[in-house]
Amino acid sequence: MQQKEDWHLTEKVLHELGRGDPFAAAIRGTRMPMMITDPRQPDNPIVFANQAFQDLTGYSRDEIIGQNCRFLQGPDTDRDAIERLREAIRAETPINVDLLNYRRDGSTFWNALYVSPVRSEEGETQFYFASLLDVTERVEAHAAIAVQKSDIEAQVQSRTADLEAALETKSLLLHEVDHRVKNNLTMVGSLLRLQARAIPDKALRVTLETMLERVDALATVHRRLYQNRDIHRFDAGAFAQDLTSDILAGSGRDDIVLETEVASLQIRAADATALGLILNELIVNAVRHAFADERAGTLTLKVYREGDMGRIMLCDDGPGFAIESVGETIGRTLVSRLSRQLRAETVWRNANPGTCVLVSFPVAE
Amino acid sequence: MHHPPLRVLIVEDEALLAMDIEAIVEDCGHEVVGEASSLTTVRSLVGLAPPDVAFVDIQLAEGSNGLDVAAFIKAHWKETAVVFVTANPKKVPDDFAGAHGIVPKPFSRAGLMAAMRYIEEGLCDPPPSTQPPRSFVASPIVRQRWEAPAE
Repeated sequence: MQQKEDWHLTEKVLHELGRGDPFAAAIRGTRMPMMITDPRQPDNPIVFANQAFQDLTGYSRDEIIGQNCRFLQGPDTDRDAIERLREAIRAETPINVDLLNYRRDGSTFWNALYVSPVRSEEGETQFYFASLLDVTERVEAHAAIAVQKSDIEAQVQSRTADLEAALETKSLLLHEVDHRVKNNLTMVGSLLRLQARAIPDKALRVTLETMLERVDALATVHRRLYQNRDIHRFDAGAFAQDLTSDILAGSGRDDIVLETEVASLQIRAADATALGLILNELIVNAVRHAFADERAGTLTLKVYREGDMGRIMLCDDGPGFAIESVGETIGRTLVSRLSRQLRAETVWRNANPGTCVLVSFPVAE
Repeated sequence: MHHPPLRVLIVEDEALLAMDIEAIVEDCGHEVVGEASSLTTVRSLVGLAPPDVAFVDIQLAEGSNGLDVAAFIKAHWKETAVVFVTANPKKVPDDFAGAHGIVPKPFSRAGLMAAMRYIEEGLCDPPPSTQPPRSFVASPIVRQRWEAPAE
């Protein structure tokens, strides 16, 4: 009770500046809005509010004293925050909570409220001490940032959707074009094959069939293009193996055994056609000349990488031949011109037995 | 292998390709028993004795689809081995819609002949004595049945 009487003393001192308890004077004079409530009175009324509190809320002392501090709340004050505050007061524990409060003139401010119980030596809660901090700017800045953030997220989402749609269109288009190229190549092959069948002259037919083999080599390239996720790269190793198997199968020569040792070798997709045509000439030559006259044997294909060079080696165990002496002129010209185009080097050597041809070219990183 | 030539049905809407496939099938010593360019024309062949093999394009005439043709063939000629011939192998579902395999377009004469020979062996004298040619993508079931275990 003594303490309560002291309190009344400071209430009086308020009107007599310069006298009384210096702590009470400090609380009265501080720029921070503060108040004290008395939980022992019905409805825990405010028994003290300093000048800063009056300045912040616009209420005069007479209007404040005796009120429960809920008189600062209004329709937009968050119910959950109020509930947390009530709970803390019921439990007599300190609490920090941001509340939207209303001034006397109806305007609002964000109040970072701190309330803590003041206990007697016996541990009984005698008062609640509360400090208020106007954090409207901070809260509004946060809200503005949240709005901006969600705006930006919406924009990013919409842009991403646009890009995805564009990509989808592009993939569809690539797919469609790829499909048409393949169909047209199939038609070219079919046309040539049908024509070759109808030609009685053997030499002419052989020439046409040679053309057909080249078109087939292009077809094999195209079947492999765009199979990877990376449409700019082409696996020359798998392709060389495909093409060699295809040509051997097509020759009907099951007496030629194919041995392969093939690593994956990525080249630029743009170089695939030229490489395909070169390999086609080399393989066809080997089949025609190394294994002529139904001679059985083994064809060895090796694809590997050495430093930044890719190498494709094709060896037969035939009687050996010189490139100058075999194949039609156009075949040799194709190999030499296309090698130059690929910055590749194509060399034959006598392997005794047989012949090896080695194509070396720079590989894509 | 001593067996009668295989009876082959060709379902392809491009006349040129149909002619070409027919010629290659005949070069392999087999017999083309029917040609169709759409689901409707396949339906009209229903009185035909069951073919051994059907080469089926995916995009067909009259807006019809090779997958529907495959389903029709499987429903009417249970034993017919369907092989899709397509420039768009990705359109074929993972289970190959009951087909034996795919010959991707553009095919070469050599590739198609190799596929034909492999299928012939698989049907008449299974399992085939060789690995499947590159020009033939076997369905998962056929792969299991026909591919020799790795040595």
